[in-house]
Amino acid sequence: MQRQGLRTWLFLAPAGAWFLCMLVLPLIVVFVFAFGERGAAGGYVPAFTFENFANLGARWTAFQNTMILAPVGTLACLLIAYPLAYFLALRASVRWRTLLLILVIVPFWTSILIRSYAWIYLLGGQGIPSLVKAMGLGSIRLINTPFSVLVGIVYGYLPLMVFPIYVALERLDKRLLEASSDLGSPPWRSFLQVTLPLSMPGVATGCMLVFILLMGEFLIPALLGGGKVFFIGNALVDLFLQSRNWPFGAAVAVALVLVMLVTVAAYLRFTRRWAGGRDDVSLM
Amino acid sequence: MTDRKDFLTREKFMEELYRYKKGSVTRRHFLGVTGLGLATSVLGSAVPGLRGAAFAQGSIGDRVVLATWPNYHDPANFEAFTAATGAAVDMNVFGSNEEMLAKLQAGGSGWDIVVATNYAIPTYVETGLIEPLDLSRIPNFDPSAYDPRFASPGVIEGKTYGIPRNLGTTGYCINTADLEGGATPTTWKEYWDLTRGALSGRVIVHDYQLTAIGNALKYFGYSFNSVDPAELAEAEKLLIEAKPHLFAITSDYQPSMRSGDAAMSMCWTGDAVQLQRDIPEIAYVLGKEGGELWSDFFTVPASAPHKDAAYALINFLLDPQIGAKEQAFHGYPTGDSRVDALMPEEVLKDPVLYPAAELLSALEFGAAVTLTDPTRAEIMARFKAA
Amino acid sequence: MRIYALAVYLFLYIPIGVIALFSFNAGRHAAQFQGFSAQWYGKALSNPFVVDAFQTSLIVALTSAVLATLFGTMAAMALQSVKGRLRVAFDALIYIAVMVPGIVIGIATLIALVTLFDWLNPLLAAVWPLAEGAPQLSLGYGSLIAAHGLFAMALVIIIVRARMAGMDRSLVEASADLGATPWGTFRQVTLPQIFPGILAGFLLAFTFSFDDFIIAFFVAGSQTTLPVYVFSSIRRGVTPEINAIGTMVLAVSLLMLVTAQAILQRGRKAG
Repeated sequence: MQRQGLRTWLFLAPAGAWFLCMLVLPLIVVFVFAFGERGAAGGYVPAFTFENFANLGARWTAFQNTMILAPVGTLACLLIAYPLAYFLALRASVRWRTLLLILVIVPFWTSILIRSYAWIYLLGGQGIPSLVKAMGLGSIRLINTPFSVLVGIVYGYLPLMVFPIYVALERLDKRLLEASSDLGSPPWRSFLQVTLPLSMPGVATGCMLVFILLMGEFLIPALLGGGKVFFIGNALVDLFLQSRNWPFGAAVAVALVLVMLVTVAAYLRFTRRWAGGRDDVSLM
Repeated sequence: MTDRKDFLTREKFMEELYRYKKGSVTRRHFLGVTGLGLATSVLGSAVPGLRGAAFAQGSIGDRVVLATWPNYHDPANFEAFTAATGAAVDMNVFGSNEEMLAKLQAGGSGWDIVVATNYAIPTYVETGLIEPLDLSRIPNFDPSAYDPRFASPGVIEGKTYGIPRNLGTTGYCINTADLEGGATPTTWKEYWDLTRGALSGRVIVHDYQLTAIGNALKYFGYSFNSVDPAELAEAEKLLIEAKPHLFAITSDYQPSMRSGDAAMSMCWTGDAVQLQRDIPEIAYVLGKEGGELWSDFFTVPASAPHKDAAYALINFLLDPQIGAKEQAFHGYPTGDSRVDALMPEEVLKDPVLYPAAELLSALEFGAAVTLTDPTRAEIMARFKAA
Repeated sequence: MRIYALAVYLFLYIPIGVIALFSFNAGRHAAQFQGFSAQWYGKALSNPFVVDAFQTSLIVALTSAVLATLFGTMAAMALQSVKGRLRVAFDALIYIAVMVPGIVIGIATLIALVTLFDWLNPLLAAVWPLAEGAPQLSLGYGSLIAAHGLFAMALVIIIVRARMAGMDRSLVEASADLGATPWGTFRQVTLPQIFPGILAGFLLAFTFSFDDFIIAFFVAGSQTTLPVYVFSSIRRGVTPEINAIGTMVLAVSLLMLVTAQAILQRGRKAG
């Protein structure tokens, strides 16, 4: 028993040390810095002040953009991904299924940077808007708008939503659907009463993954928002890499982490109750 | 230093340099003998055996990394440098001095050359981020060829930290075709009024506190460099009011001006020249109220990993022939009279590059205080986050 | 339904098609197609900065994925027999590691390490016994690997643990009853069962690190990873060279995916 205990400790030590040095300590440093002051040329000077937290209101718009576009983006991903996952799991022929699934991830394997950059071109003046104009539908502007950021979000995170839903639907016991139809329910009722509730764990997992990543998003608004659609992530990068206000940046980071922890905890509670007390709503 | 016959020794090199400076030999002779300049690049690319060895100092490594500005270098000249020396050139492009400073402060930028604007140099020196240059390694640099007004910010307490790169003004470019017959504006007041009026949704402001805030201050007739809280508050109000009417906040505005997405943008001289080359309807306006006059400098960070290559590249780019090619590409005057002597007359008469005296006298050099002023930094960040 | 799926696939592939198409552009401008040429592939492959960035990304991704997989699997196995406070603490750490946005991890690591190095470097110089001068601690490979490995390790723990939960414990007991050593049991019973989880974890860890921009943006120091290089190229004004890089990365990823699939398939058949 003693040896068992020793081995457990040895096995846990590297992971524990890694978490401690690269996660716990840096987060403590951020927390401490959040109470400091900006140096004369930028950076950090030790101090104890709540001023940085009092100034958080100055980034309210960025928080607001994130808090609106992260859920909206998650929802848009869900609405587009669900029918696709449904098709793949229940309608596509078994022979093609693996290939079609792989085709969903392949775009995910090019850098998100390069994919977003393709959208800069497609949404810019010489892309889709020029097509629309040529068709005589008037001039529209797409790039540097919340819409272009939303397109980038859906494009970037769609696979993350498709997969968990696909897994949930694929596991679904087909006999349940047959039973439902044998009992005379029309297809839409079978869907609402059988398929949808049973796929909820997958939906919850996918939403969670996408939402978490969106809350800290920087690249997509930076590339497709033109400095006009600002997320908290952009505000953070700005504070560290332009105005060099480390303490205020630290305070914004602390606020972001707190908002996330609260939102995610609430979400988990909510989805657990919603999924009927099931415990398989997890991150992966 | 080397046993190869075709190379000069360091002593011989210095002797030639001295003779050249005294004026007893021509520049052509000097460049020919020392193997520097264009001769080097031609030789280097023609004779593959010379690769990596064309510089008398011997091997300078296989790379050099610059932190610099958008649309600021002719790739062909870098390719010539690589062909001559074997060192490949990489650029990291930035939209503001503040961004470069932040990256340097965060440690380990990996840059060998930073192209800094006049007002940033005092801070770089104070914080020890750049070091005094060894001018003996930049024989192509001739301080007497420059107007002291533009070259002096590179010298601090008698030590040269920066070699002049280019100079210019910050005004705005406007696609006159979008004015629908209206008169071309002449002031900053009109820039901000058009932004919130006829050109709403099609205007670009620099992602750069110095010019974004400075030119907003000009709307009210305040100094471009003001750090007065009350004046800055007015400028911030204007910026935030204008924000919904902007197309983007970015310092790389050429693509949007070219595609027609944007109709007006804060603009540096060279970019205006490059835009006008392809789209003649684009006009460059220096606001009558004033604005910025600047000069950029090559500086070498204390942390530069490839200093030999940094010196070699600076020296290479200072060759008047190369300087002339650079100007032909990007449009910015070098301020080097040896380069001006090589430029065609219509360039020297270009009102964009060499503005009339009454416009020039209203301009200000950026002040060092604006780089580190916390209020300006925060206003810029708030403007972007609004 | 089919038409819908087709539309989504078009949405997914049109931008990629655009990238690939423009990578064969003969002209230097990204936005106008001026004839067909493969020159940008040659340019990208002979550009030492691209090659270097690729190498850095590969080294960082491999090292961090190997370490994360090793330590993560060890921790996942040990955690099976851990209850009480230690278990709660570890669960909390995993939860936080997954939850805290990459951007915050990047910034936190940056300011913590820069502060630590500012403090350690003079100390190191003072106590250094040799004349040549003490080594300067700075951001680079170490900080990249450590920061990337963190998130990857949390992923590996989650995946391997999920796999273990579905494992048949009676086999382990049977193996022990039949007199196998703990190592033998692990090698012959546990490992084959959790291997797909470990492999999946490794691949995810590798992909995450190889594709990560935001953490590397902050902690890479003077090193340049491929995404950081691509980001600065996009800012510099795009030439088709970037498209060529993107297309190549996609091709290599596809190749790896197919290989992994083949290995898994064979493993399944052999098992």
